[in-house]
Amino acid sequence: MGLKPATNPDVEAVAIELSIDGKTVTAKDGVSLYDVISSTGKIIPAMCYHYTFDPFGSCGMCLVMQEGKKAPIRSCTAKAAAGMVIRTEGDDLFQARKKAVEKHLSVHPLDCPVCDADGHCELQDMAFQHGVTNLANAKQKFIPEDTRSPVLDFNMNRCIACAECINVCKDVLMIDALQFMKKGGFNQVVPKGDLALSCEFCGDCLAVCPVGAITNKFSKYLYKPWQMKKTTTTCNYCGDGCQMHLETKDAEVVRVTSPLSWKNKWGDRADTAKGHGGLCVRGRFGFEYIDSAARLKQPLLRKGNQLVEVPWLEAMHQVVEQFSEIRRKHGPDSIAGLITARCTNEELYLFQKLMRTGFRTNQFDSSARYGHLNFVHASRHALGIGRSPNDWEDLTRAKAIVLIGSNLTETNPLTAVRIKEALRVYQAQVVVIDSAITNMAKLASHPYLISPGTEGLVIDGLVKATLELGLIDEETIGKHPKAFEALKAAVAHVSLEQVAAKTGMSVEALKTTAAIFAEAPRSIILCAEGIVRQSDGYQNVLKLMDLAWITGKLGQPGCGVNTVTEEPNEQGAVDMGVAPEFLPGQASFNDQVARDRFAKAWDVTLPAAGSGANLVEILKRCKSGQIRALYVIGENPLATLPASMEVRAALDRLELLVVQDPFLTETARMAHAVLPACTSAEKDGTFTNLEGRVLRVREALDPVGESLPDWHIMTALANALGCQWEYESSNDIQAEIMKLLPGYYNLGQPRKVVPTVDRYLSNGYAGEVAARYRAPVASDAKVQRPYGLLMGQILYHSGKMSTEAPGLIKIAPNTGRLRMNPEDMKRLAVSEGGKVRLTSDRGSLQVAVQPDQSVAPQTCFFPEHFNEPPVKDLMSVQVDPTTGVPSFKRIGVTIEKA
Amino acid sequence: MRVTVLIRNILHAALFYEIWDAMKVTFKHMFHKPITFQYPREQRVLPDTHRGALALLRYDDHQERCVGCDLCEAACPSRCIKVISSEDAARPLQRFASEFYIDITKCVFCGYCVEACPVNALAMTKMYEFSTHDKRTLLFDKKRLYEIGERHLDDAKKYLYAHNQEQNVEESREYRYYFPQSVLKPTQSQPKHLG
Repeated sequence: MGLKPATNPDVEAVAIELSIDGKTVTAKDGVSLYDVISSTGKIIPAMCYHYTFDPFGSCGMCLVMQEGKKAPIRSCTAKAAAGMVIRTEGDDLFQARKKAVEKHLSVHPLDCPVCDADGHCELQDMAFQHGVTNLANAKQKFIPEDTRSPVLDFNMNRCIACAECINVCKDVLMIDALQFMKKGGFNQVVPKGDLALSCEFCGDCLAVCPVGAITNKFSKYLYKPWQMKKTTTTCNYCGDGCQMHLETKDAEVVRVTSPLSWKNKWGDRADTAKGHGGLCVRGRFGFEYIDSAARLKQPLLRKGNQLVEVPWLEAMHQVVEQFSEIRRKHGPDSIAGLITARCTNEELYLFQKLMRTGFRTNQFDSSARYGHLNFVHASRHALGIGRSPNDWEDLTRAKAIVLIGSNLTETNPLTAVRIKEALRVYQAQVVVIDSAITNMAKLASHPYLISPGTEGLVIDGLVKATLELGLIDEETIGKHPKAFEALKAAVAHVSLEQVAAKTGMSVEALKTTAAIFAEAPRSIILCAEGIVRQSDGYQNVLKLMDLAWITGKLGQPGCGVNTVTEEPNEQGAVDMGVAPEFLPGQASFNDQVARDRFAKAWDVTLPAAGSGANLVEILKRCKSGQIRALYVIGENPLATLPASMEVRAALDRLELLVVQDPFLTETARMAHAVLPACTSAEKDGTFTNLEGRVLRVREALDPVGESLPDWHIMTALANALGCQWEYESSNDIQAEIMKLLPGYYNLGQPRKVVPTVDRYLSNGYAGEVAARYRAPVASDAKVQRPYGLLMGQILYHSGKMSTEAPGLIKIAPNTGRLRMNPEDMKRLAVSEGGKVRLTSDRGSLQVAVQPDQSVAPQTCFFPEHFNEPPVKDLMSVQVDPTTGVPSFKRIGVTIEKA
Repeated sequence: MRVTVLIRNILHAALFYEIWDAMKVTFKHMFHKPITFQYPREQRVLPDTHRGALALLRYDDHQERCVGCDLCEAACPSRCIKVISSEDAARPLQRFASEFYIDITKCVFCGYCVEACPVNALAMTKMYEFSTHDKRTLLFDKKRLYEIGERHLDDAKKYLYAHNQEQNVEESREYRYYFPQSVLKPTQSQPKHLG
């Protein structure tokens, strides 16, 4: 794909002048004439144009007259040139455009009343605008409808061959799942090879289709666009924080549409660096959990052996009574809490306030503990900022991106689209280092496959290679020669050959990666679940910081070490202080100044400094009987953590387990009281996405049944426990946060942060760096267990919540099969569906297998969303000594045919 | 002049002229055919354009005409129509109204919905007797509307004719939608490298 000079930050395009309707306009050379005209505010109709990709020029609507030419020209495919004299209005042009509409309409079925796009159709608008009332020779196509795909129907009778769907799929998303095919005398859009559609199912083709040729199976024939209420909110599936329009009718969610649409087709191509406005499969088709029949509609109390439905008052009385009794008898530290990062910032803030001022304990944690806190702690330790320093724009405009330990397309599909744009438009060099053959690896310029669990070693190798090749930035390290010497000494024992032998990445590859990273003007490292959710995550992130530091990238604009978050508000959970070590605003819990400030604001004495417990510690204390009551909001530790954590035993010992969740989860089934909570579609609030942008969540429909927003339940609980809280809406909580953390709600723009690396490098860096690069303890367990069993996210699911959405289950059901490389299957002589016995240190399991090309040889994969069969119970847990992050996503196994 | 007036007045007084004059109307009505209808024993003949109860119609082959396009709901000024449409389970890819409600207590009988209907599924009939003990029965559902349509089919057709919407059976077929069939099987064999 060629890049238009106007949008490339590295190319200065020549400014030219041309005349449009008698006015002189300045533009950049080589830009599409249509873009120049639309930048002056004039809208010329165009059906095949969208600013996110290059003009295609098939609809014939954007006609303009150029002086010196007899016939009108198509402005989208014409390039702006100096001295052009253009006329965009006039009766001749109107008639010419009307002819084009008539041409499209003559082969378009006039089935508007039964078409889903009725009222949201560009062809309809154009016919109306141009007053088309008669068609001379209309004919019908009679093409059968393609209903083979699980989510989209293709009715090619209605297609106007504008190719927007093909262009967006190929150029913007780089999926390339659609093509034109001449069939039955007409050019039709068909899935590649005219097979059933099998792609990422992001549905962006549906969003850009200006007519009703591509229709959504979920809302097909249900409602017309004007019948639905449209609420702009933030997606609740991953940390990308995509904006989406939830379209509802009364108490029913009908469909989800994206800001990317044929309706917003005018824009600056450079703006797509901030996001192209599309959604992924989870956002667009995973909305059905909101009004699912499985939602909890009434509070439940355990009576005898059963959970029975009771009114709110009774449930709350019981919960409050038991909480106060346990606190009276055993002190505040007999109570603990867990909350999910799918709650809004306001609720997370309220949760830690409830725990600290209501229950007076510091024993609580959020699901950011499953990995994101590794990054936050490392980044705070090194740079003093607890979040990713770069936003999507930096990522798109980077010249070199090192993607290490991240299956980005599956975990954060829209961040992956940013990297795809960096690859395609800005010609970035993308290095992908992963132990699976990921989608990004297939697109990247430098894909490297490594053995599972050797990400840390690879970073050692990269640091060493950088030093060996002399790619260091003299100016930066000159400021801290002592620290540099210490680093040099620490990596002295690392040999590239050894690293290459252990990781499977060649010495040449290590050197190339180091060179690409060091030499590019804007280079970004993105590490995700392969680093932060694995053992030594904290140290590995610090090693990446070292790499960025010695190459002089730390603190440079457009450079940095980043991570992505799995749940929508993991960053918010950390920022709101939902961790025993943090107060809101990421102030340390032991910092006396911050403690005084919050104690004064909340008018309480905070729990003692140094007290508190994180997730792993809480479960340990539950098991030992120290914690007697647990308040769980939206978390499901029983289904998340492997059996070796003995969560069931820990929860069994509790005197009171209160679970507040929209669904009856495994943990909720063990609870003494279950309080029905709302999903994010039924409440107001904000999420903080992975860039640090605070995004609004809006109430799209009334709470289902008698469920209530989490903040409402927490306020009621706190007031019953003796607090004087007067929150009447989430806005009241927001006002309090605004007072305590000025500038946090920064109008949706991430605060620009300036990393300060000097304090870290001059204090104690030399002491700790040696331990970081110590040679890994050689374990002979590897020999016995030749396969790496990995658990992770798949594109179509997020956590356990998405399994409640029937649409996503239809696209990606739990096959109950272990995914293996076809080569390995051949070696083991098992065919698809054949059973194997999987044995790890923790146990053994019989499971069927299925081939998967994206799984590397010598590894096998099982999606973490499903517990049937309980593959997760084969995992052992390593707890990071610094951050307390439990990692349990990888283990060595033996596989034999059963 | 004055004498003639005087004589006339005396004559009128002597012959009770005013009374006879007044009684003229009474006598006229005595021999006149009465205008009052003995409703409900007698029924008035209504013009074809009369806007009475709404009805849903079927085609000759008993298929429902309505495709659930919701245009009647959009056109309704008193917002008394509610349409819920979906795909017909028995006939895949066919859109139909799974539910159709008209709150006749809110209806202003303007006839816009009939005009808006692209398939002439809605028509007005000469039925205007809605009296009931239970107001809830005045929320006409789909079943009731089709019943009215069957009972007053001729009236409905005459209404459409009188309003220049549809003249005969042939014309109704012109508006009818024929939905495409679906492809469920691959149209080509799978390429070798995927096999």
